[in-house]
Amino acid sequence: MMYVVFIMSVLYVVGFIGFSSKPSPVYGGMSLVVSGGLGCGIVTSSGGSFLGLVVFLVYLGGMMVVFGYTIAMATEEYPETWGSNVVVLSAFLVGLLMEVFMVMWLFSGEHELVGFYFSGLEGLMVLGEGGFEYVREDYSGGASLYSYGFWFLAMAGWMLFVSIFIAIEVTRKRY
Amino acid sequence: MPYIYINIILAFVISLIGTLIYRSHLISSLLCLEGMILSLFTLNALLSLNINFALSTIVPLILLVFAACEAAVGLALLIIISNTYGLDYVQNLNLLQC
Repeated sequence: MMYVVFIMSVLYVVGFIGFSSKPSPVYGGMSLVVSGGLGCGIVTSSGGSFLGLVVFLVYLGGMMVVFGYTIAMATEEYPETWGSNVVVLSAFLVGLLMEVFMVMWLFSGEHELVGFYFSGLEGLMVLGEGGFEYVREDYSGGASLYSYGFWFLAMAGWMLFVSIFIAIEVTRKRY
Repeated sequence: MPYIYINIILAFVISLIGTLIYRSHLISSLLCLEGMILSLFTLNALLSLNINFALSTIVPLILLVFAACEAAVGLALLIIISNTYGLDYVQNLNLLQC
């Protein structure tokens, strides 16, 4: 399982194709949740466990829950899946075929693309976990939001506060 | 490692195409917008971790904050459309008839 991160990124793209082919939004939301989980796995494999947790808690647990009950409010009686409509199925298959061809092209020799050299899979080996981090980068980076990035924090907090009022006034049609 | 970057940029392009192409529901396009933001977050997080520059880990966090605000406003607009027309079909948005 040395190439598990690459397989996770391929499944990530397949999940994206799954909701980009526009089935009923219920199934699109489910596909986005699956892609979010795989994205968390990709980020965590590079040592970013804090950022993976942020994806699960804030993105999936906050934003996707809101999307979920909004979709439940604005949904139809017979939701269409990937298999019930020819358009959705063909879009999904075209995207899947494109991804398969891209992976096959990537592994068919050496390529140079915008400064990156692709040769084989040796750049993807998951290295040993033996104490190479004395400083947890993502935790200290997240903590520096409160010290060096105080202005970021102030602007983000103010923006969240104002957007509550924006959402309320827009819903009351006072724009 | 560049293979993973290519896959995430490809995921961004796929959800960008999904945002720009409408089918029946408006909320599907909002969902593709959320997908764009997820792929940008993943890309930013991976880059910050792989160049070992801890301070730039702030960028994916702030991006997520802005994405939450944008999702809130987008969903509020969707609620108004759903209140007026009953459903969020894009064929209902036909006030401009030209």
